[in-house]
Amino acid sequence: MLWRELVAGLRAMRRRDLAWIALGGGGLLAYAIADIVVALHAAAEGLRNDQVLWMLGLPIALVVLGCLAGNAISRLCLSRAFAPFLKALPLASAERRRMAGAGIFALGLPLTLVTAMSVGFACSVIGKPLAPAWGLGAAILFASGFGAAALWRLRQPRRLLDEAGGEAAPRGRPLLRRLDRARPRWLASWAWKLPGGHMRPSWKLAAACLLLATAAILGASASLAGRTAGPAAVAGLMGGILVFMLSLRCQPLGSPVLRTAPIGFTRVWLRLVQLPLQLSLAFFLLPAGAALAAEPAAWSVPAASGLWLLVLNGAYAVFGAYFLNAPFVAMLSFASALAYASYETFEYGRTVLIGLVALVFFLCHRTRQRYRNG
Amino acid sequence: MDEVLAVSRLSAGYRGRPVVRGIGLSLGRGDILGLLGANGSGKSTLLRAITGQIPLIDGSVTIDGIDLADAPERAKAGFGLAIEPHELPAPLSGRQYLELVASIRGCAPDDLPGGDLLERLALGRWIDRPIAEYSLGTRAKLSIVAALLGQPPLLIFDETLNGFDPVAAWEAKRVIAELCASGRHAVIVSTHVVEAVPALCNRAVLMADGSLSRSWDAAQLTEASSVPGAFEESVMQALRTQAAA
Repeated sequence: MLWRELVAGLRAMRRRDLAWIALGGGGLLAYAIADIVVALHAAAEGLRNDQVLWMLGLPIALVVLGCLAGNAISRLCLSRAFAPFLKALPLASAERRRMAGAGIFALGLPLTLVTAMSVGFACSVIGKPLAPAWGLGAAILFASGFGAAALWRLRQPRRLLDEAGGEAAPRGRPLLRRLDRARPRWLASWAWKLPGGHMRPSWKLAAACLLLATAAILGASASLAGRTAGPAAVAGLMGGILVFMLSLRCQPLGSPVLRTAPIGFTRVWLRLVQLPLQLSLAFFLLPAGAALAAEPAAWSVPAASGLWLLVLNGAYAVFGAYFLNAPFVAMLSFASALAYASYETFEYGRTVLIGLVALVFFLCHRTRQRYRNG
Repeated sequence: MDEVLAVSRLSAGYRGRPVVRGIGLSLGRGDILGLLGANGSGKSTLLRAITGQIPLIDGSVTIDGIDLADAPERAKAGFGLAIEPHELPAPLSGRQYLELVASIRGCAPDDLPGGDLLERLALGRWIDRPIAEYSLGTRAKLSIVAALLGQPPLLIFDETLNGFDPVAAWEAKRVIAELCASGRHAVIVSTHVVEAVPALCNRAVLMADGSLSRSWDAAQLTEASSVPGAFEESVMQALRTQAAA
């Protein structure tokens, strides 16, 4: 099914777009590989002898990567194996899980091979002895993380189905009734998929709040203890953008409810950004206040941090609107674009940032066009 | 201005490929147009082009005197579209959805024609529950109520009336007829229920292969409805002729 979806998706694209993706993507990939090889060559000596990297950093990274990939691919395969249109067919739950398992294996195997080849190739580039063995080890670590996550998902397929089908509302007054009154009303409740405007407590929400609160308190404490504004300002900036990225949802932008209504793209987009921006700035205030209290003379540090937060939030709001149905892809793309622009800036100077700004404007233009013309 | 909708030489489709071609259509106040056609004939594509959901390849759409391409937001204020039931925002309750649409249209959430429309369509007991819990028919009722909010001059129903229970279908048709009898509104009803067209509509067009292949005016519809099955026969004949060609 996934293969057919991919083929149908490719067939639905125009040849010109396919050519752009193949040539542009291929060119970028070749450039990225060349760049990485050059960087690895330059840092070969240090990398070869970094024991912490080889004994701890790389294994942990590979297992975590495997877990994330296994979790995502299992969800994808289970959602197809338990698709609503298959409900009427005489397929037992065990049979559906077997189908999902086969799909997970078929997708996981090439990913493991790519991981093994990448690590083996990187080891040979930096002259690390036993490069094939390191590649094999990387594949085992990646596969163990991937397999553990996949098995966990396969043993509890109901968890996935309950998540998808749990839209029934609790009773009572909607939590966001005061915050969600601006025109168009109830847009944030819709974007956040709050049934009837009610917030449902969940362990994910609790864990995210706890982590963010801990980060804010640690940053503020570090600043107050060291009498320096830096740590709290950085914590405020990083936490603020994280809150914004986690809370921004833009899928209503693709709905005909809004696209056929007398309301323009910019107004809807700004309305969708409004509440996540308020949350982001609310988070920022505690560390920024601590930074100011720790070093009042350095007021420009939290001020600059706040300005950067606004700029980054604005840029991410464009990515979020462009990838409106895939917030995780939006986060990944934004983080990759930022990381790549920062890396290239060291090499080519700040002109690279102009490219990032151009990308943001291009995505904004495309999103607006899609809202207007489908 | 009596003309609510003017469509001229319209061509529209997907990814640059036209699905409907050379459509010319004019609707005045009081008109109820039945839009007929086989599956894939281009009815929904035409309605998507009229409501600004897909770009026009050629031609123009003017709604209540405002060109859709020049001023899309102002033009869209001139019509109410009954959204397809599966496109409604499932997490919101029916009342929240009506408040959302009313806030966009700048009217009160109870600015509806025909008295207490929610009760007439038996929506009252569902209105505070999330749309995700609604049946297909209940979603369609909500979709129609939202289209009527603010009483825009042009109303568009794309196969929305098909899934109604008899009472709701009767009430919806009565509301549509009352609106058009007031002389301030025009309605487009896309449907596969051919026999319902002469009773509800005063004009009808048949689409085939992306263009308008046949039309009936009020007199022809009245004449056809006087003989049981005559209108269906003429539509079937037109479809058969088109298929053979």
